[in-house]
Amino acid sequence: MIAFLLALLGVCLLQSAVVPRLAIGGIRPDLFLVLTFGLSLSAGPEVATAAGFLVGLYQDSLSGAPLGLNAFTLSLIGFLVSQTSRQVRTAELTGRLGLLFLAGLVSGLTTLLVLRFFQVPRPWTSTLLWTVLPGTIYTTILGAGFLAMPKPKALRRLGR
Amino acid sequence: MTRLLLRYRRGLILSSTLLLSFVLMTLQVRSQSALADLTKHLLLTSVSPFLRIAAVSKAATVTLWNEYVDLRRVRLDNQRLREETRQLRTQVGELREMALETYRLIGLLELRNRVGSETVSAKVIGKDATNWFRTILIDRGANEGIQRHMTVVTAEGLVGRVVDVTALAARVQLITDPESTVGVLIQRSRVAGIAAGNQEGTVQIKYLPLMADVVIGDRVITSGMGGVFPKGIPLGRVLRSSRPTNGALFQETWVQPLANFSRLEEVLVLKQPPANDLPWGSGERLP
Repeated sequence: MIAFLLALLGVCLLQSAVVPRLAIGGIRPDLFLVLTFGLSLSAGPEVATAAGFLVGLYQDSLSGAPLGLNAFTLSLIGFLVSQTSRQVRTAELTGRLGLLFLAGLVSGLTTLLVLRFFQVPRPWTSTLLWTVLPGTIYTTILGAGFLAMPKPKALRRLGR
Repeated sequence: MTRLLLRYRRGLILSSTLLLSFVLMTLQVRSQSALADLTKHLLLTSVSPFLRIAAVSKAATVTLWNEYVDLRRVRLDNQRLREETRQLRTQVGELREMALETYRLIGLLELRNRVGSETVSAKVIGKDATNWFRTILIDRGANEGIQRHMTVVTAEGLVGRVVDVTALAARVQLITDPESTVGVLIQRSRVAGIAAGNQEGTVQIKYLPLMADVVIGDRVITSGMGGVFPKGIPLGRVLRSSRPTNGALFQETWVQPLANFSRLEEVLVLKQPPANDLPWGSGERLP
């Protein structure tokens, strides 16, 4: 639990202080998604959903998003990734990256739908092409580095 | 009962978190509930001290790295020459950094004097954590008297407005945020419109009449309408403008903001709107 909270704090710091410097054309990778994804690969759906919710709440507090937007998306992503990872070959890096790419797309689409539901609509085509897709690709590329790293024992324990 | 809960725990946890997220969003978006604001403030307050520490320790690490750690790699045979070069370069870099900081601070100071009302200068300690919104986090909060809807500027022009405040930090919505709208005037022809941010991070002026007198390069200033932003703050220059021929009633006009949002380091928060229109002069960078 402490390892997860430390990882969450680290991601909060990186995402708001370092990641903006890595922006390409205004698009930044989403480390909160990578954290949720990495945890969900080894954790059960219950833990992954709850962790996604907490991670999302912190992401909401660090952005102009209404509280709950990313909590909703990342809870769903945590649950789906945890469920899917039992059926997809995620032992290999390519399998994990493919799943991370899909998770990024689902996250973007869910955010678009929720924003639309709350009367904050964004144009579909341009948002998908210029925000969701580049963001997902960038997150996947950066996520490759994180996912290839050996996982600390504490996080593995939390996963079990 | 317990067995039933355990059996369906996955579905229960998922639906509970999704429902809770939805309730939080509804509370904030539809009714501006204090509960949602309080939760957000608590979360932000739990992280903002670490953000401040990170900003300070980053500067210290860079100094330590440049002045000590990096030096250990220098080969012995040309250590003296390399050290001399490095020291000179460091000095030049430090002087350049100091000059740039002084230049920015003088700009803010002159701006503060010109504005005449009470202001607070603040450092930018974080940027928005998503690609969906354009906000920044500053290192001044309620302890320094910062409140929601206060105007934030730089020496170049308008930056945005304060949207969230905690004791030690505040969140500023930039004028390029898709949810941001600012009442503006074309300074030369005095035509009024509304400057709105968009998903691409640029600013578009809406509701400019089709035949309004707008020329590329025209300065755009705040109109003071809406009661949030004081009148006369420069916002940007007209980048391009077109008159649609498809029966539309309004021009399509895009503006280049004067403030450079990718390099924001210090900003000024106007605690009170100035009594008169702001004397921004030419609106360009201060000398």
